[in-house]
Amino acid sequence: MSDQHHDLVHATHTHDGKPIQNDDRPPLEAETLETAIRELLIEKGVISSDDIRRAIETMDDRGEALGGKIVARAWVDEDFRQRLLSEGDAAVRDFGIDMRPTELCVVENTDEVHNMVVCTLCSCYPRPILGLPPVWYKRRDYRARAVREPRAILAEFGTTIPERKQVRVHDSNADLRYLVLPQRPAGTDDWSEEQLAELVTRDSMIGVADVRGPTD
Amino acid sequence: MRGPHDLGGLPGGPIEPAVHEHEPTHWEKRIEAMMVLLFDTKRRLGRVDESRRMQEALGEDYHKYPYYERRLQAVSRLMLEKGVFSQEELEAKQREVRARLEAERSGS
Repeated sequence: MSDQHHDLVHATHTHDGKPIQNDDRPPLEAETLETAIRELLIEKGVISSDDIRRAIETMDDRGEALGGKIVARAWVDEDFRQRLLSEGDAAVRDFGIDMRPTELCVVENTDEVHNMVVCTLCSCYPRPILGLPPVWYKRRDYRARAVREPRAILAEFGTTIPERKQVRVHDSNADLRYLVLPQRPAGTDDWSEEQLAELVTRDSMIGVADVRGPTD
Repeated sequence: MRGPHDLGGLPGGPIEPAVHEHEPTHWEKRIEAMMVLLFDTKRRLGRVDESRRMQEALGEDYHKYPYYERRLQAVSRLMLEKGVFSQEELEAKQREVRARLEAERSGS
């Protein structure tokens, strides 16, 4: 990722949770190429500017809130949990999510296993659920090290996995995307599905963090 | 032989998640939107592995381009390969757009 953009934007959401449009501009040549391709595609009737606007709106509706709803449903509904783990694509269709042309594989964290997701070759990510991947996910350091020293990376995210627990790293690809089903935190037995959904973070669904409960 | 994209298992530096995090820019989202639309089940003008093939073919330039510029290069080359538009059309359009953006940027 370009280093010139990193820390220019601090406030990313308004108080009601809507993203503020980040209008940082790329180098002139990059903006020229993007604009030229987009205008040619529109002139040729391949796509319309309305298609682009709607695709961006759809993108903006994705993220940890949507992923959190799926995770919370799996925590409270055993049938859904089993469907999510055995046929992820079909299960997330309940939430209006279309994974095509990729497949979704949901991996479950347990007392014995902690799962973590990477794409060593590029940036494959469950975009129809979580939206665009974070910058660190696409950078060389994460991609290179995740498959060799996942525990060291987890520690950099402040996540300590006990030695007795196995860490499994899943390498995503063009056809198959992974989502981690994190463990339900202690102290939430009487919580509603909606309350639970709000606890779930993006990083917990990538597997670099656990979901923190009221007692953590 | 290991390609420029094939990073699994290589040494690397710290992840610094707090540093490498930013809300995608509108420009970045436009590139993503184009890719989603071109690759959707209606248009079928490409697939993720084709986009990757184009990025990996950048060779040494792979690491020169920031992430979204690399994806943009891939889309551009893929659409040229598939004949959606020609090199001449693209160059003519780039000249027109560059002049417009230069004027816009110097005025703002």
